[in-house]
Amino acid sequence: MRFSTFLSFISPSLGLLLGLLLAPLLITFYLSTQHCNLDMQEVVVKEQTPFGVQETKTIKAKIGSDGKALTICAPPSLSHYAKLLDTERLGKAISSGNWRDIQAMEFWGAMEFTLFYVIVTTPFVLALGLLLALCVNASVERLKSFWIAASLLPFVITPVVGALAIKWLFKDNGLIPYLLTFINVNIFWMAEAWSARLLIVLYGVWHVVPFAFIVLYAGLQSLPSEAVEAAHLDGANRWQILRYVTIPHLMPLIAFITLIHVMDAYRVFEPVAVLTQGTFTKSVQYLTYHVLMNEDNPSKASAAAVLTIVGISVLLIPLLRKTWKEYQPT
Amino acid sequence: MNAQSKKSKLNSCGALLICAAGLWSAAAFAKCGAIEAKGEINIIGNAFPVLQHIAKEMESCSVPGLKVQFKMTPQARTEIETAFSSNGKSPFDAAVVAMGVYANLQSKNQLLPLTQLVEKYKSKYKLEDNMLVKANGEVMAIAFMSNAQNLYYRKDLFEKHGIKVPTNYPEMVQAATALKAKEPSIEFPIAQTFAQGFDVATEFTNIYRSLGGSFFKAGTAQPAFNDAIALQTLTLMKTMMPYMTPNAFASNSDDVMNQFQQGRAAMGVLWASRAARMDDPAASKVVGKMEFAVAPAAKAGAKPASHLWWDGVVIPKNHGGNADAIFQVIMEALDEETTMKGNDIAVWIRSVYKPGRFGSAVSASGKAGAPIWPTEPFFNLAHAELGKVIPDALTGRISMQKALESAAAAYSSAAKEKGFLK
Repeated sequence: MRFSTFLSFISPSLGLLLGLLLAPLLITFYLSTQHCNLDMQEVVVKEQTPFGVQETKTIKAKIGSDGKALTICAPPSLSHYAKLLDTERLGKAISSGNWRDIQAMEFWGAMEFTLFYVIVTTPFVLALGLLLALCVNASVERLKSFWIAASLLPFVITPVVGALAIKWLFKDNGLIPYLLTFINVNIFWMAEAWSARLLIVLYGVWHVVPFAFIVLYAGLQSLPSEAVEAAHLDGANRWQILRYVTIPHLMPLIAFITLIHVMDAYRVFEPVAVLTQGTFTKSVQYLTYHVLMNEDNPSKASAAAVLTIVGISVLLIPLLRKTWKEYQPT
Repeated sequence: MNAQSKKSKLNSCGALLICAAGLWSAAAFAKCGAIEAKGEINIIGNAFPVLQHIAKEMESCSVPGLKVQFKMTPQARTEIETAFSSNGKSPFDAAVVAMGVYANLQSKNQLLPLTQLVEKYKSKYKLEDNMLVKANGEVMAIAFMSNAQNLYYRKDLFEKHGIKVPTNYPEMVQAATALKAKEPSIEFPIAQTFAQGFDVATEFTNIYRSLGGSFFKAGTAQPAFNDAIALQTLTLMKTMMPYMTPNAFASNSDDVMNQFQQGRAAMGVLWASRAARMDDPAASKVVGKMEFAVAPAAKAGAKPASHLWWDGVVIPKNHGGNADAIFQVIMEALDEETTMKGNDIAVWIRSVYKPGRFGSAVSASGKAGAPIWPTEPFFNLAHAELGKVIPDALTGRISMQKALESAAAAYSSAAKEKGFLK
């Protein structure tokens, strides 16, 4: 194939990739290096409100000849990254070997919870998804479509709505605390770090298991019956068939689910915002949201977003290497 | 049915639809008068009951050729600040804002002065002087309601056990102790919005200022909220914790309102705008049992630990339409008729408003000396940083002193990045 023909074939995809992936990434990175602020000055304002008149000494933007607020920009730099990562304190904490100091730093504390969430939810998502897929696969034919539809429900529900439903189940006087009182268990789920974290993990597993289930169930449909029968004839029991035939067959799909879930879990936000509002459970994405919404600092929030992408990329390196090797010609 | 009969029926239906549309537009026309404008007027505001009432009134000004749309969203603040600071036209022609957001927009010179429009339409819409928010004599916003956090308490239980209604926080803790001992139906007597972020920082602000604290060094943006009074504030907040649900750090206004409605709490400070919901028989088990009073002071003899807020409407300098028409649509929705129709859902500023039992505590708080919510444009940054660390300080994960120092340092860094501090 001529190179020009090849180019004309791939150019639509290439254009989309550049426009939808690379361009936003570059713009976000560019924003993260910017340091533009309003040029402020102290002023005295006589304010009249429904509660009376008061004279206030305050700070207000200087106004240019066009009537717009004046801005001042410092040269582009990576200082937002240094502030987010708290590099100075981090260096001291590492040299003194004080792990608690690192945990107390905002970004690294958020990173700790984010990694905890990724590491804890991934095996549960895979194990429960596989269990569900095996159960539905073994179910009677006419009930299969019902089980599939029912199992997919948590995945269909919008994350915020799902998180709200979980909150209502577990809050004061909710159904779960109420039922637990019958066995003399009294837990306030949002009151302590362990229970708040457990709640977020529970939500994560509940929400993503259906995705793992449907992918693995599809994989089970292509499981060669000859291999299973041969294993039977060789005297393998159910566990051995699962261990040596089914799971190896599903391995590429398990890698795919892990890849997607790690990316997704690293960006955990909705359950944190809805269930605990960050108490004991600040995640990297929640921190980005805080910087953008409360600090009102889009440049610093862009730096946090770039760090999120870097974090996900680092986590995905082993999986991507494995996939790359599998697709190399032998 | 033959073809002619079908045709005749269709004609009748068409005529009816045209009549209905005509009546609808005539009703809208009657409500909004002759607003001469075409295209769209887009307005944005937060999501709470009184704004639903106002949004409906604004949208009723839509007539053929003019569409009025109101976007209600809990993320209104961010959307407003982004839209109003845009170099191009703002997607929103007006916004309903609370005074904190107004202070931010005004500090960036992003609001359209309304003085001329007010002069032109003052008599038509019976605009009252105390609705006009002015900066150096220019009208910058039209305020329509005030709000404050007041004391909610179960009158029946207080009377049953002979407990005095608290006027300060130490008395509130005493009342909670008595209720916990005497009233088995109430496990946690106090319910307050201690949710991490905005809510707990607002509680801190209320108590801190009632104790005489100042957030900033006089006339500057330098932080001063890491002082001894701030420590005293956190200590006082901690004394309330044993009387509140252990889930308090996830309890926002909705959760606290639910605790009262379900009869699971006996007292607490909550927004006046939630009071009417206590008597909603569809959602409340305590209809007629809740009473409202001035927010308690942080200590005996101090001013109420609450702040006065106003909500109003502003127009951005970069609006995309006809300022005259936008102003008229706003004023149609803030007229006396709207106030009277929604008398009990807000504490209106118009003089036709008749304070009922739900709103009377706001004016009482004002009379008792409750201050106005801080209007420094950098206050939001301090508030946000405090909201992040207070739960950690109250649960003992970090010391109170360390929490305050870290909030002050984070605030200084954010204020420098925004240009408020050199």
